[in-house]
Amino acid sequence: MGIDLVLDPAFLQSVPRFLTPILLAALGGAICERAGVFNIALEGFILVGAFCAVLGSYFMGSEWWGAVAAMAGGVGMGLLFAEFSLRRKGDAIVVSIALNLFAAGLTVYLLRTIFGVSGAFRDSGIKGFSGIDIPLLRDIPVLGPLLNGQSILFYFAVFAALALQLFFARHRLGLRLRAAGENPAGLSAGGVDPQRVQLWALVLCGALCGLAGAQLSIANVNLFVENMSAGRGWIAVVAVLLTRGRPLYVLFIAVLFGFVDSLSFRIQGFGLPQQFTDVMPYLATLIALIVLSAWHKSKTA
Amino acid sequence: MQVDLSGVTVRFGTLTAVDNVSLHFSPGEIHAVVGENGAGKSTVMNVLFGLIKPAVGTIAIDGAEMQWRNPQDAIARGLGMVHQHFMLQDSMSVLENIVLCSEPVSNLGFVKFNTARARLREIAETYGIGVNPEKRIADLSVTERQIVEILKVLYRDAALLILDEPTAVLTPQEAASLFQILRNFRASGKSIALITHKLDEVMEIADRVSVMRAGKLISTKPIGETSKAEIARGIIGGELPASLTRATQAVGEVVLAVDGLQARGVGKTVGPVSFDVRRGEIVGIAGISGNGQTQIIEALVGLRATTGGQASLLGHTLRGLDVGARRALGMSYIPADRQRVGLALEAKVSENAAIGREGTKAFRNWLFIKRAAMTSFARELIESYHIKVAGPNARTSSMSGGNKQKLIVGRELSRGTPLIIAENPTWGVDIGAIDFIHRELIRMRDAGHAILLVSTELDEVLALSDRILVLYENQIAGEFAAADADRLAIGELMTSRSKVVQVA
Repeated sequence: MGIDLVLDPAFLQSVPRFLTPILLAALGGAICERAGVFNIALEGFILVGAFCAVLGSYFMGSEWWGAVAAMAGGVGMGLLFAEFSLRRKGDAIVVSIALNLFAAGLTVYLLRTIFGVSGAFRDSGIKGFSGIDIPLLRDIPVLGPLLNGQSILFYFAVFAALALQLFFARHRLGLRLRAAGENPAGLSAGGVDPQRVQLWALVLCGALCGLAGAQLSIANVNLFVENMSAGRGWIAVVAVLLTRGRPLYVLFIAVLFGFVDSLSFRIQGFGLPQQFTDVMPYLATLIALIVLSAWHKSKTA
Repeated sequence: MQVDLSGVTVRFGTLTAVDNVSLHFSPGEIHAVVGENGAGKSTVMNVLFGLIKPAVGTIAIDGAEMQWRNPQDAIARGLGMVHQHFMLQDSMSVLENIVLCSEPVSNLGFVKFNTARARLREIAETYGIGVNPEKRIADLSVTERQIVEILKVLYRDAALLILDEPTAVLTPQEAASLFQILRNFRASGKSIALITHKLDEVMEIADRVSVMRAGKLISTKPIGETSKAEIARGIIGGELPASLTRATQAVGEVVLAVDGLQARGVGKTVGPVSFDVRRGEIVGIAGISGNGQTQIIEALVGLRATTGGQASLLGHTLRGLDVGARRALGMSYIPADRQRVGLALEAKVSENAAIGREGTKAFRNWLFIKRAAMTSFARELIESYHIKVAGPNARTSSMSGGNKQKLIVGRELSRGTPLIIAENPTWGVDIGAIDFIHRELIRMRDAGHAILLVSTELDEVLALSDRILVLYENQIAGEFAAADADRLAIGELMTSRSKVVQVA
């Protein structure tokens, strides 16, 4: 193993597939973070999104309907979060844990009642997103195999990171979201209900997490597996907290995680024990934490 | 724009905060509303601004009755409020703060910052005030923040400006420039409602003054037809308290002895300081905030480690003792920060009243706290210290600042310890409460307790102390006996190193 491993087209191709769900979910989480909603239910949001994507794609016969259904599922979770956390003033951590457990149970239950299977549902009727071939990009070395031929959701995710940066800086709702997270009393005094703003944050977050789920179930593969989010929502939570919801940093962290995740998968083929390779994304998290906190210290000192 | 509040009544639970109050605000007039903390001034203004719905009463603008669903309605009709606590977003720029909630936007909802910038320039030219719109709030001084709050209101084209205690955080010079701005507004035909409890400000700038007490409107008069003394009588509901008198008395044994005490300060060591406080005297520590007062007090109370020297209470060294042990030895403490150090705001009044006593027999039954004892003790404190609150079971956060402070003063003084440490005991409380707290401290002194008073208000130190120590740059710069304490000399010591007097 060495540099040729990292430059291997197959490896490069896999990096965006790993990073897209993390990036989409983390951007959703970033919106909540900036709006002062402590949402650590991203895992559950993604899982419901992944299931709804398969549901939409299978019954409507189109991956686009799959994506719409995934967003709807994610938004539904967002609204549930809003109902319990905002309107009924439940503790955000308790609500998050409840929704994560709820999502796991609900998808398993629906898998059995709707598709009559347990464990996994695969069917040729599930239409998935295929890679988009971009002629000019294709021919650039390294970047070509890395960025070309990905699902539309990957390109959307990168666009969303940049757009979100602009949204926070220049958009009315972006401004209000930041105010809701920093000093909600200032919003109330100006006649804007901070809870309405936070509701919007949860809706946007739900839609993005839904798409993250769609990337898992109808872009990376064309099937739904129980608990297929497999901790990506938690990695996204870490990305959000590390960056305090700054979209460009989120993009950077998601790329880092996507890279390490995909690398850990890759080097299993080189005889390293799986227990070690499984640890890699979390090691990367820890290292990112240490580097970031050292950097913060040097800046404030 | 003529704004009329008629017959407004507001109730919080069983407490009637505002009782049948009518106020009228006319164009080109500064109308001051004065009263003690908790008199209902802020509540009335919150009604006017749509933040609180009154139980009874109406709001009319130019004769037409209004129904506010929320502040947005009031803002849309030309009302603007500058709140006592800044409602700003520290991490955002001045411009972002000003447009927030009234953003000029394009079709897609993006904020047209250039339009806002141009409008802000216009305002700056019209009224002669402005702040660099690109600066972050966190980098602004308190005055600049105040100006941002005012700009917010002007940006929304308010015809009635409500200012809630606008000078509370300003120095006299800053307040003077704020008043000049207010005069410009008056000249341009705006109505201004000024909530304050500083009577000198009222006399200086107001055209009309309304006095509130205990939720009721006592009087409304043009400033020319009233006097400072009359307003003060209205506020307190009786004659002005006679000025404080202190009989000279012989002091007793040393209660607190501080010898070469040092503590870690902000980037620098505080001290060494040496002094003592005897029975029957009030020793005042004067100085501008940030000259080591906090560290010395914390070191004495046990909240901060000392790095040198020592202190003893009634001959027992304080070294190695924690806060509880020091208090048990005979020390009470009225902290400067009542919100965070003095009280647990979310707890009940009775729970706060019992802090430091839960362990004693009267309040504890084996493992359990005696609720009934706590409640009746709190009721006693409420009565004997004239605390205005719904009852022992009310949330502490529901009390006004002055009443919170009275609760702390009551809790600490009623312990009757030989030593009482009072740190800015009247900071941010109204005149009635200030006078009450001062009298209580003097009563304790007369009864033979030793009192260490730290205050950044020189007048307070002068009024109460038998001896005055002046702190400058973490050292004691001089000592005065009350008889020959000279304002100017103390003021000079507080601000200049060159005049440092060596004290033995």
